Amino acid sequence: MSFEEIDHTADRAFRVTGRDMAALLENAARAMQALDSDGPRSTAEPSAMRAIEVEGVDGESLLVNWLNEILYLEQAHHLVCEQFHLDDLRNHCLRARVETRECDRTYTHIKAVTFHNLKIRETSEGLEAEIVVDV
Amino acid sequence: MCSVPVETAMLGKEHVERVAEYVWEIPKTFREDMRVPARLYADEDLLDAALSDNSVVQLVNTAALPGVIRYAIAMPDIHQGYGFPIGGVVATRLPEGVISPGGVGYDINCGVRLLVSLASVKEVKPYLEEIASRLYANCPSGVGSHGQLRLNNTELDQVLHQGSRWMMGEGYASRDDLDRTEEFGRIPSADATFVSDRARERGRNQLGTLGAGNHFIEVDKIAEVYDQATATRLGLYSGNVAVQIHCGSRGLGHQICEDYVSRFQKTARDYGIELPDRELVCAPFDSKDGQEYFRAMACAANFAFANRQLLTHLIRQSFEEVVAGKIKNFELRQVYDIAHNMAKIEEHEIGGRSVRVCVHRKGATRAFGPGSSVLPDDLRDLGQPVLIPGSMGTASYVLIGTTEAMRQTFGSTCHGAGRVMSRAKAKKMVRGTELREQLRSRGILICAGSMSGLAEEAPAAYKDVSRVVEVVHRLGIGRKIGKLEPVAVIKG
Repeated sequence: MSFEEIDHTADRAFRVTGRDMAALLENAARAMQALDSDGPRSTAEPSAMRAIEVEGVDGESLLVNWLNEILYLEQAHHLVCEQFHLDDLRNHCLRARVETRECDRTYTHIKAVTFHNLKIRETSEGLEAEIVVDV
Repeated sequence: MCSVPVETAMLGKEHVERVAEYVWEIPKTFREDMRVPARLYADEDLLDAALSDNSVVQLVNTAALPGVIRYAIAMPDIHQGYGFPIGGVVATRLPEGVISPGGVGYDINCGVRLLVSLASVKEVKPYLEEIASRLYANCPSGVGSHGQLRLNNTELDQVLHQGSRWMMGEGYASRDDLDRTEEFGRIPSADATFVSDRARERGRNQLGTLGAGNHFIEVDKIAEVYDQATATRLGLYSGNVAVQIHCGSRGLGHQICEDYVSRFQKTARDYGIELPDRELVCAPFDSKDGQEYFRAMACAANFAFANRQLLTHLIRQSFEEVVAGKIKNFELRQVYDIAHNMAKIEEHEIGGRSVRVCVHRKGATRAFGPGSSVLPDDLRDLGQPVLIPGSMGTASYVLIGTTEAMRQTFGSTCHGAGRVMSRAKAKKMVRGTELREQLRSRGILICAGSMSGLAEEAPAAYKDVSRVVEVVHRLGIGRKIGKLEPVAVIKG
């Protein structure tokens, strides 16, 4: 499994892995959604592709900004993000497309993704990070 | 960002020195980057609870902030957060000291408002179920919930600059409501120029909404009064109805914090600031970055005051719809409204001199004592009312600010019970539907949108609020005035 929830007293946290930075970003987006699900996130609306561009000053800030961008889409536009296509990743800049569906309410309970003790570590199998989110 | 390694496993009771009864200190020598000692206010058991997770490491980290003065403080309800611990108070000396968005948190001006009625719970009880249903229907809850008020850009700017005062202009607040609100419901340094379009977009339709997580509206019974004279001055009478509102600045505040934490990841480097945790990123208060965050934060704070004010209007309307003509004197009068996530510019006496500081209170409540010039005329000789909500289904307390809090804690005290159990664990241990029935059997009605959200907030996940309040009362950094017990809870 590419992610697991880890214990946090007041908020929520998860550990995510990926063979490279692109996989880490994609798995982190999936992890955040799995952590956040409170019943089915289903909607019958047709899907639409949305383009996302995010950047960071380093890998960690790119990771946080990417996840916050997804939260923004879901909360401000009442969308469910379903599939993530990472098209271009270089110099801490990411261009991606996200498959979204409109819904009548937001399903996310996460307020924001934090930088708390965030460090992307190299492991024998790729990369790993632990992310705390404010709920 | 340069990081100082944090050996979280290293911090144990052997590193903590007892300074006085309920006062513990981690000396500055504990870690090289500490600029001041870290101080905890707790009894033995609450100290053990604090040491059981990373709360105290987080407290020690805040003792490394540039300009931090006296000590980094933790209240007895301290628990693990992100960056700052929840229950933390950190003051930085101005002008050179920093302001840290993480020291305020994402829910800027999350706070509590207390309303009281002259009607008794006994009189209201026959209508309680209907009142709870009406409150749940009239006060939208859940993370992305939308309110009925749709603001254009000009109106939103006015809310960000004027807070509760804008609500009074629209007929949603009285002069008395404003007088009984911290900062009179408006922080004047707000400047909406520094609020992003994205923050506006997230907040625009959320005025008058509760949100999710630990936010709630609660109908209470005033169960006990400890100081009759002060309680009478505040309108607290045993057996009467009270209503608490706990919520903050919604998506607008979350986005403002996110915007500046992200921006400061780069600018903190430019200022040469080294920190043990990137969530503590900060800027010198008087710098362009520090000022812009402070002015944007004030906008979110005003938005939160306005939000609790509109909810107050909706709550009054709900009571009116149900009990008007059926019982007398049910009108809800405001006791006070306090912020518990905020950075404020204040003057405090340190070493016999008045010093201008930026006080970060993250999960801590301002508790100014008698004589403070920022209190309304009718409360100045008494001190500031302090509102301490308990966990769901347990008691809450009304305290009054003290001179001792001014002396010891930059005029601050605790903010609630404080969690001891993770949300994931609480959900494994408790089923929302069973909890609702248990509470109902104890005479507490629950209206909640999410059963798993309800389980996360189970009383077992929190410390004993009475114990927390007892510690601050005995320390003298807050004086007990009254106790509230819930009869109906509305949750997102």
